[in-house]
Amino acid sequence: MDSPKYISVFFDDEDPLREAVRKLLESKETIIDVMTPFPVHGIDKLLSIKRSRIPIGGFIFGILGATLAFGFMTWVFTVSYPLIIGGKPFFAVPSFIPITFEMTVLFSGLAMAAAFFVRSKLKPDIRFNPVEERITDNMFVILVDTGNGNTTPQKIRSILSGIKTLEIRE
Amino acid sequence: MFQSPLRNPLIKGKKSYQDVTSQLLDPMVNKAGKLWYMGITLSGGAMMFGLFMIFWTIWQGIGTWGENRTVGWALEITTFVWWIGIGHAGTFISAILLLFRQRWRNSINRSAEAMTLIAVACAALFPLIHLGRPLLTFFIFPYPNTRLLWVNFNSPLVWDVFAISTYFTISLIFWYVGLIPDIATLRDKLTKGIKKSVYNFLSFSWKGSARDWHRHEITSIMLAAIATPLVLSVHSIVSMDFATSILPGWHTTIFPPYFVAGAIFSGFAMVLTLLIITRKALGLEDFITIEHVESMNKILIATGSIVGLAYITEIFMSWYSGVEYEHYALMNRVTGPYWWAYWIMVICNVGSAQILWIKKLRTNLWFTFFLSIIINIGMWFERFVIIVTSLHRDFLTSSWTMYKPTIVEYGLLIGTLGIFFTAFLLFIRIFPVISIFEVKSILKTEGAYSANKELNHG
Amino acid sequence: MKKYRRDIEQKHDETERNLLNENTHPGDPLSELLTRAGKDMNASRRDFLRLCGFSFAAAALSSCQSKISKAVPYVIAPNEITPGHALYYSSSYINGSDYCSIIVKTRDGRPIKIEGNPESGMTRGGTSARVQASVLDLYDMSRFRGPLKDGLPAGWEQTDREITARLNTIGEEKGSVVLLTPTIFSPSTEAVIREFLDKFPGSEWIRYDAVSCSAMLEANRINFGRQVIPAYRFDKADIIVSFGADFLGTWLSPVEYTKQFSSRRDPSGNMNFLIQYEAGLSLTGCSADKRIQIKPSQEYALLLNIYRKIIQATENRQIDAPPSPVDTDEIAGKLVESRSRSLVISGSNVKEVQLLVNEINRCLGNYGTTIFFDHYLRTHGAVDADMINLIRRMNEGSVNALIFWGVNPAYTWFDGQAFSEGLRKVGLTVSLSGSPDETSSLVQFICPDNHYLESWNDAEPKKDFFSLMQPVINPLFDTRQMTETLLRWSGSTINYYDFIRSYWSVHMLQRQKEFTDTVAFFDHTLQKGVFEPVNEINASASYIPSVRFQPVDLHLMKADNNDTEALIEVIVYEPVAVGEGRQANNPWLQELPDPVARICWDNYASVSVQQAKENSLANGDLIDLGGTTFPVHIQPGQAYGTISVAFGYGRRTCGPVGEDVGTDSWWLFSAENGNIINTRKLNKITKTGSGYKFAQTQTHHSMEGRSFVRETELKEFNKDPSAGNELHTVYAARAKSLYKDREYPHHHWGMVIDLNKCTGCGNCIIACQAENNIPVVGKEEVHRVHEMHWIRTDRYYSGDDMDPEVVFQPVLCQHCQNAPCENVCPVAATNHSSEGLNQMIYNRCFGTRYCNNNCPYKVRRFNWFNYTEAGTLAGNLRDKAGMTGDLRRMVLNPDVTIRAQGVIEKCSFCVQRIQAAKLKAKAENRALYTNEVQTACSQSCPANAIIFGDLNDQAGELNRLIGSGRNYNLLEELFTRPSVNYLTKVRNRILS
Repeated sequence: MDSPKYISVFFDDEDPLREAVRKLLESKETIIDVMTPFPVHGIDKLLSIKRSRIPIGGFIFGILGATLAFGFMTWVFTVSYPLIIGGKPFFAVPSFIPITFEMTVLFSGLAMAAAFFVRSKLKPDIRFNPVEERITDNMFVILVDTGNGNTTPQKIRSILSGIKTLEIRE
Repeated sequence: MFQSPLRNPLIKGKKSYQDVTSQLLDPMVNKAGKLWYMGITLSGGAMMFGLFMIFWTIWQGIGTWGENRTVGWALEITTFVWWIGIGHAGTFISAILLLFRQRWRNSINRSAEAMTLIAVACAALFPLIHLGRPLLTFFIFPYPNTRLLWVNFNSPLVWDVFAISTYFTISLIFWYVGLIPDIATLRDKLTKGIKKSVYNFLSFSWKGSARDWHRHEITSIMLAAIATPLVLSVHSIVSMDFATSILPGWHTTIFPPYFVAGAIFSGFAMVLTLLIITRKALGLEDFITIEHVESMNKILIATGSIVGLAYITEIFMSWYSGVEYEHYALMNRVTGPYWWAYWIMVICNVGSAQILWIKKLRTNLWFTFFLSIIINIGMWFERFVIIVTSLHRDFLTSSWTMYKPTIVEYGLLIGTLGIFFTAFLLFIRIFPVISIFEVKSILKTEGAYSANKELNHG
Repeated sequence: MKKYRRDIEQKHDETERNLLNENTHPGDPLSELLTRAGKDMNASRRDFLRLCGFSFAAAALSSCQSKISKAVPYVIAPNEITPGHALYYSSSYINGSDYCSIIVKTRDGRPIKIEGNPESGMTRGGTSARVQASVLDLYDMSRFRGPLKDGLPAGWEQTDREITARLNTIGEEKGSVVLLTPTIFSPSTEAVIREFLDKFPGSEWIRYDAVSCSAMLEANRINFGRQVIPAYRFDKADIIVSFGADFLGTWLSPVEYTKQFSSRRDPSGNMNFLIQYEAGLSLTGCSADKRIQIKPSQEYALLLNIYRKIIQATENRQIDAPPSPVDTDEIAGKLVESRSRSLVISGSNVKEVQLLVNEINRCLGNYGTTIFFDHYLRTHGAVDADMINLIRRMNEGSVNALIFWGVNPAYTWFDGQAFSEGLRKVGLTVSLSGSPDETSSLVQFICPDNHYLESWNDAEPKKDFFSLMQPVINPLFDTRQMTETLLRWSGSTINYYDFIRSYWSVHMLQRQKEFTDTVAFFDHTLQKGVFEPVNEINASASYIPSVRFQPVDLHLMKADNNDTEALIEVIVYEPVAVGEGRQANNPWLQELPDPVARICWDNYASVSVQQAKENSLANGDLIDLGGTTFPVHIQPGQAYGTISVAFGYGRRTCGPVGEDVGTDSWWLFSAENGNIINTRKLNKITKTGSGYKFAQTQTHHSMEGRSFVRETELKEFNKDPSAGNELHTVYAARAKSLYKDREYPHHHWGMVIDLNKCTGCGNCIIACQAENNIPVVGKEEVHRVHEMHWIRTDRYYSGDDMDPEVVFQPVLCQHCQNAPCENVCPVAATNHSSEGLNQMIYNRCFGTRYCNNNCPYKVRRFNWFNYTEAGTLAGNLRDKAGMTGDLRRMVLNPDVTIRAQGVIEKCSFCVQRIQAAKLKAKAENRALYTNEVQTACSQSCPANAIIFGDLNDQAGELNRLIGSGRNYNLLEELFTRPSVNYLTKVRNRILS
């Protein structure tokens, strides 16, 4: 990730983390990001992350899949190569339903996964190294922006006094 | 947050987040034990045997099997449906139980999903090799060929292709999305080395930021939402291979729900078989507790009862329909030359499920293990009964005949078992069998007691 | 149907031959290829094409007898040969006593299919399975390649020289030269033989029929002074009483009789009544309206009782008869009622029995109404006594030279020992057999005869029913027709073709008015195939009054019947498929399931159900019949106390296919007062083993109360034509569809199968196999239920196991309009044509076998292995019968694809024929004629039980039959709406 100036505050548990986040936001600090080993509930609300639109994408692509599947089968059986099969009419709707359904699921599923990877900038990368190795283990981190210049470790410490932090690093 | 006062903790022992991490990553970080090597040799051997039989079949022809003029499908489709069924538990657990917020699923969904993928792969093998001309398998796909000849969308076999491939794809995505954070954990646990960079590559540069977690959760939930009907559809469609035909004993409208229930039944049984072994082998007693086993046993009771009900319905319908062929088909199953298969099926599936009403038994590991194997045998015979006994005596009595499998067919069955266990053994060495981040997320609510208390004191 | 004049070719050949001489291409690819192919059976497609190319020339030259030394491409193509166009030549099938007037289909010079010749007044377009299969014998790898001396190749010149020399010396020494043949009914051949006999004084001609009617001949000599088999007219008889004569299957002239019989099986017409007294369940017994099980030994007593009643009623004479084993009053009464419209026959070879049968027929006044002497049958004329004498004289050493043709006593003579020892005492032994057999393996000289498709000949199977045989391909090997050989030996220089023409110009020409010059007459006959100078049938059966019938006390039926009761009687019978074993090396016939037992590649001891219970026998147990052991087949309907065994199996020398298939049973025959008897007594059944595996294509024999075959009684039918077919209306009413019916505007091909006419003879099965290149899979594969026949005749027993009623039902692809198979094929490899055909696209099929699972009729066949060498993978060929050998392959029909391993195949309604006919019609710018298209099975059906046609042709025969109340579809409750229809079976129960 790009390297803006920030202070990273380390916690070893989720409760002080939540506490700290609230405090920091109250004292008008800007939090760049919060990193946790597992999804900590409530954080997203505190950070007022707005609900992802991935489901909508999934829905649209689902519809697309359905239309393509049904349309293709119809075209094949009525236009491209009509065959007399089992005395059925060429446009045998009931037979088309299973495949239409499967394609709906497939399209929307793939779409949502793709959206997730793209939006979260997740891509295979061998040279990637994390901010702090223990984040994926048991470490909770808040990155506080120091872009405005008046944010200092001391200031942070004073804000977070009474909250158990492991470390505050420049 | 909700916390059931009644239930014992889902994760035993006084564990900190670190403990969880290190314990669950152990198999990937450290060397494998003797037991593991023995296991893989055994299953590998079975796999090689099966692969030879596949080669033999393709070279010499389907004639090497016991199938004939009247019985066109037998062991191979039996085993195919069996594997597909087994492949249902995984997604069922991870998707449906997720939607129902069943927290106990967190300890088992990972391995269950892995099992699903492997089982589906094993299943997919059979439609391929059971072809008279397997080298032309690609005919099944509607690709624009020179004669612009497409496939027959009326055929349940084509529906199968779409259903199974979709199911596999979605399950794979679901599984992998869930896996990414844990791969990241693994990445960060490892120091230097090719192994690290491989995991680094696989981790998709996951950093665990709150926004990513947010999307991750939404995606998981949504995938679960679409996977749920998918799970139900797959075996329904497979069941249509039979239900849409006109063969007495196949031509039945109850097949879709009947097959789905059966699938989950056998799937859970297989999950139990694997978990009880893994639990012992990797010492995961604290994560996979009796609680888990019991909850799964309860599902066995439910699905097993549905299966039993289906059997009864079949009997009723064959009488109520008043169709002589249907009636005969049933009588032939129960009392015909393959009566033993029918009764194995009934005893293993209906009987076993009902025994589990006894709490003492359903909380007994060894009994559960034994039973899970019994159930899978029973479910295999269910498919055998449906396929072979319906075919070998159909409409024209002049064509009636018997079917007897050959060594080649047994070889294929054994071979896929080999493939299955080999793949699973590899899986438990490559990826954490239990979803680490999900366990952590419930560690405080479901753990023995809060992790930070532990920390405060230390 | 096109028939080509040979003489066009004749003229043509001159030019061709000249060309040959100028043209000097070295090598003769055919013989070269054949000798190589003999060693290794796998030759490339190119070789095959060369073979075809050669056979072009072969066809062009086929009528000239000179040996071809060079193969040449067409420089001047023969006028009538267009590559890819089939030519049809009328000819005659003669094999021992089997005869059929036929039309041979050739493609690019290769005969590939036999059809019946509708012009014939005798066989009237019908054929039998053996006739259909005979084309394959032509391409038999094991045929002799040329003359042999003591097993070593010797040129014709040398052989002729040596043999004639030795014959002459024998002649000078007043020694005896014996020519041993079966009954010969070819006038020209007879003439040739006479020439031969004149040439060598002291030489004689002895005729020996392995399956003889010696007793009938004698009886007729005694009663009528004419030692012949009369012409039976089953179409003129209202009541037919048969004692063990399987006239629909094997007796005398089955094709002719089947035609006659089936013409009277239309219930709306004047339907006849057939009662069969027999021990083993025969084809005729299956079709009989009433079948009564008797032991052969009871036959005489039974006849005598019937006779007593009749003579009482007709001539009011009293004779005494022993107590009858079964009630005979009723049938006797019926016979008297329908006097001179009845027919009593017996298959027995006991003179007394036949005398009695003659007497009964006389009393009933059947001579001149249902039995005629002026068109008597000439195919059976041998008297057993002659052969018995010959064997005696051979052993006395009073036979100096023995020449065999068309007979194989070393195999068929019950006392093989005596024969072979006698043969050692014979100075000169020559076999004219075209392919190796047990006898030819014992002789000094082998002068191989041509196959009949390579031969010129004429025939007179019945008095004044003449037909011609013409070659359709040049001899494949260095063989020479038997008549040609005899002509050479008797010093004549004329070739046999000219001999026949001259014979006909002398004897036949004046018998007709139409033509005055021989050439025109001969060629006309050649085209037509038959020459039947019609002269009014006048009832000229002069019964010699001097011979009064005297009942004798036959040792066969001692008054003390009880001891014969105790004994078990073994009957040796002729199997429908391989007959007396002449065609044992024919894979098609070997794999043709016996119509009754549905077992192929085997013979077996048929034991009655009760007997099996008593002796605790199971199918596949081995029992000793006093010499060799036979596997047991428990046969419902087998008379208690009898065991039937088929002969014709257990060949020791005949080629790879037929050798050691089944067990030799000729030794069970025995000679009694100058006749060969096919029964013998057995004290007890001794079980020697068990677990023998049959190749049986049908193992469940009951309909389980399902309505596959719907039947009724004539009485019911006369009240209501749809009797027994009530279900049809029920289901028709229920038949509702969501979708509207599909239209088949141009044609809608369909079929009607009349279950009342079908005799289950199996002709359609082989016809289909020949037409559609259906592979032969061999015994082991049939045992594994992998047989490939596209049409089968299901056989069901109904009623009591001890005495069942039998029905046959030919089942082929039903070409359903709502075909279940089409819906399930994932790759649309099977779908429906716009002409209502359920078609199979082989190269699209990849073998899921789903269609077969979903086919309620189970008519689809899967290529389990690489049977045909058409697959893509190498090294996995499974061809037990050598059908992929280069020579055998020449029988393949180029219009039909060879199916690869892993592909489903099935009946196509002979779509290749439909297409060919449509193309022809289009070229001639016309619509198809009615019945212009015929499927292989319908065309040659001797019973006319299978009718094929266009369902859109409202006025057509097909719709008339469908309109009749008898029509129904197989499994119509499934609403698959087949294009194949069945007509109910109607049983004529005039006896209570």
